[in-house]
This record gives sequence, structure tokens and C-alpha cells, in this order.
Amino acid sequence: MKKLIPAVLLLALVLTSCSSLRAEKTADFFAMDTYMSVKYYGGPDGESEKLETAAAELEKKLSVTKEDSEIARLNRDGRAKLSGETEKLLTGALDLCRETEGALDVTVYPAVRAWGFTTGEHRVPDKDEIDGIVGKIGYGNVTVGGGEAALPDGYMVDLGAVAKGYLGDKLAEILKEDGVTSALLDLGGNIRAVGEKPDGSPWRIAVRDPAGDGVIGTLPLRDETAATSGGYERYFVDEDGEIRWHIIDPATGYPAKAGLISVTVIGKDGLRCDGLSTALFVMGREKSVSFWRERRDFEMILVTDDGKILISPGLSGMFEPEKGSSYSVEVIGND
Amino acid sequence: MIKTKVWIGIIALVAAVCAALTVFIFAGRRKGRTVEIVSDGKVVMTVDLDRVTEETTYDIPAPGGGHNLVTVAPGKICVSEADCPDKTCVRMGWLSDGNAPIVCLPHKLVIRPAGGSQGADAEAR
Repeated sequence: MKKLIPAVLLLALVLTSCSSLRAEKTADFFAMDTYMSVKYYGGPDGESEKLETAAAELEKKLSVTKEDSEIARLNRDGRAKLSGETEKLLTGALDLCRETEGALDVTVYPAVRAWGFTTGEHRVPDKDEIDGIVGKIGYGNVTVGGGEAALPDGYMVDLGAVAKGYLGDKLAEILKEDGVTSALLDLGGNIRAVGEKPDGSPWRIAVRDPAGDGVIGTLPLRDETAATSGGYERYFVDEDGEIRWHIIDPATGYPAKAGLISVTVIGKDGLRCDGLSTALFVMGREKSVSFWRERRDFEMILVTDDGKILISPGLSGMFEPEKGSSYSVEVIGND
Repeated sequence: MIKTKVWIGIIALVAAVCAALTVFIFAGRRKGRTVEIVSDGKVVMTVDLDRVTEETTYDIPAPGGGHNLVTVAPGKICVSEADCPDKTCVRMGWLSDGNAPIVCLPHKLVIRPAGGSQGADAEAR
């Protein structure tokens, strides 16, 4: 019996001590019209404030609603000087608009506004109004370069579809420069992982069920972004009982209904993941699958309105569907 | 022979203690479904969802006027009513699995899991 006591004590010590090796730190703040929550391990004092300041500074440049932002001035005056960062971001966003052939369009903002999604005072614009607005949508008419940008009369730019993705990469860089090797950034549902968990396992990211309260499954994430677009958080039901969500098809001016209710894109480049999640939502299932086949430089999870989850082959064996879920999971073929 | 029996006894005991500790640790983890209600950056209420026995509704005033009604039920919590313009917080539905926070931006209200995460580390949405 005497031998037993130290053995049990040692065992208890081993089992309880491992979990408290490195303390988790958190930074929680509101920025870019959303709630951001960052957890990280290590790093110097004041790191949380540094992250919050970086988010606020980017918002100050990009906000469509803050009157003195670079983007607000561009929208008001049709021409504005841009900081290096805003120019880089706008150029990157326009590249993605071109690559997606306008499924993502940074000039769709007047339509989003007409439907009341910017104020919460939702309405269904009549056809004439929509037609007028669609005539003022077209990323191809935005000129940018040499530290400034210009728009035709009546056009408006909003970088909201890519800004959180870009910010994730930016904050991840700040953390890494300060020696943080393990962090998870939740920027209003746009998830960016830095390294892996302190125990060496990948971060586990759940994907929201667009049709219910729970999740559709989880996937591992290391040093990448997972960005989701769906119609389930910002929407309203019109007088005819039709659901109208905030993702507008730039080609029609109406909420995008192409058979998808949620799109998640996983990849290295945050801006690209964020923008692509919106673009694929607008494209719909068939076009998204061919878009992916032509590139294969990102992973994706498409949720269709007929209860299917389509995943790219790289997620096969990685994506774990929620137990008891009514969705059927299909892996996109290589043909 | 006696020595062998003693050793078998010790090993059995250590194994039993290991098993008990494992059960204890995992049960403890699952029980940690505690959420914080945060208004304007301050924690105004902490609720252990597993200890809620009946549905109760709390009125949380917003710093700039207005309010949210937060309903707590066994194992889950939601914003049941709000006078904010967009009502996104109400649409977010029940928070039960502790992955994503419920947020009301206009009222600076956040309902988030307290302490360690359960299940997933974050939720893409």
C-alpha cells in the first residue's frame, strides 16, 4: 500500500498539470459592423490593443458609412486619393471581380442599399428602380492606380465582401511578427487560423447550418482562412412570403437565388476566400463546381437548397458531417 | 506468488484511478456550458446552461437606449425579442453548442461561451 500512494499522486499530477502550460489570451472588440474575437497564446503585453487598433484603422479607411473614410469620399465625390493599403485592397478585389466574371462585384452596393440591408429598413424595390440601379453596377468602370480611384456618376464601391478576409491575414501577420505561433481569429464568422492549437492538433472549425440552429459539420484548419457566405443571418420575408437575403446578384439586382444556401471557402489567401464565398453563392452549384475544377487552389463546401453538402476532394476525410444531420454529403468528382 | 498478487492489485488500482480520472475530466469538460451576457463590453450576467431548470426571460437594457429580451432555457439561450433595427440577434436563434456568439451590434450585446471552448474552436458563418 505504501508504494501505491506516491504512484497515484504522481499520476494525478501528470494528468492535471499539462493543461495549464500556456495561458490563453483573448481580444474581443466590435469593428466593421461585426463582433471580432481573437484567442492567442503567448505574445507581448498590449497585443490585444494592437489588434483592435489595426482593425479600427482599416475600418476608418474602408467604411462606406463613416463620412471621412477613403471609400466614402470616393463614393461621394466620384474620385478620391487612396492610401497604399486601400489601393492594394481595391486592386485585389477588382482582380477577383474579373476572375469571377462579375459574380463578385464591388459596385453592387446601390442595390444592397435599395433593398434596405444597409439600414435594416427592408423593402422590395419596384422593377424600374432595380433596372435603374443595375445600370450603375459594373466593376469594369472603376479605375484605380497611381494612388487614386475614380467612379462614374452614381456608382458606389463597398469592399465589405473582402475586407474581413483581408483583415484576418493582416492581424495574423501582426501576431506572427510578435512571436505568436498559435491563434484563432473569429472576425464575425470569418475564421483565420495561425498555426495550430498549442497541443499540436489543428483548430477545429464548425460550419453553421444555414437552415437551422446547429452546425453541418466540422473541419480542421491550420494557417488558413475559412470564409462562409449564406443568406440566413441578414434577410427578410417580403409581403408575398418570399425570403430576400442580403447577397445580391450584381447582374439582376435581386437577391441571388442559384440553388445554394451557404458557401464556405477554405484557403491561404483571406481576401480571396472571403470574396469567393460570395461569388460562388451568386454563381450557384454548376458554375461553382466548374470554377473550382479550373483552379483547384482552394477547398469549398457548398450547401444546396435541396439538402446536399458538396465538398471538394481535398476535404474528403477532413470534413466531419454532424452526427444525425439530414444532409447528404457528396464529394465533387474530378471529371 | 504473493508479490505477484500485490503487483496485479497495484496495476488494477492504478488502472481504475486512470479510468475514474478520465471520466471525471471529460464529464467536467462537457459540463462547462457556461455563457456570459456582455453589454457594452461588461459582463452583466453569467449563466450555466446545464443548471437552468425552467425558461426565464431577462430584459437587458442597451447603453444608448433600447433593449433585448434574453431567454434562458435548459441547455440553451437566445435573444427572444429586441427593438434594434435589424433583429439579426433574434434570427441567430438558440445558442446551445457553444461555437458562435450571439451578437446584437446596434445594442452592443454579446452572448458568448465563457471559458474554454466545447466541441469546435470557432464557427464559420
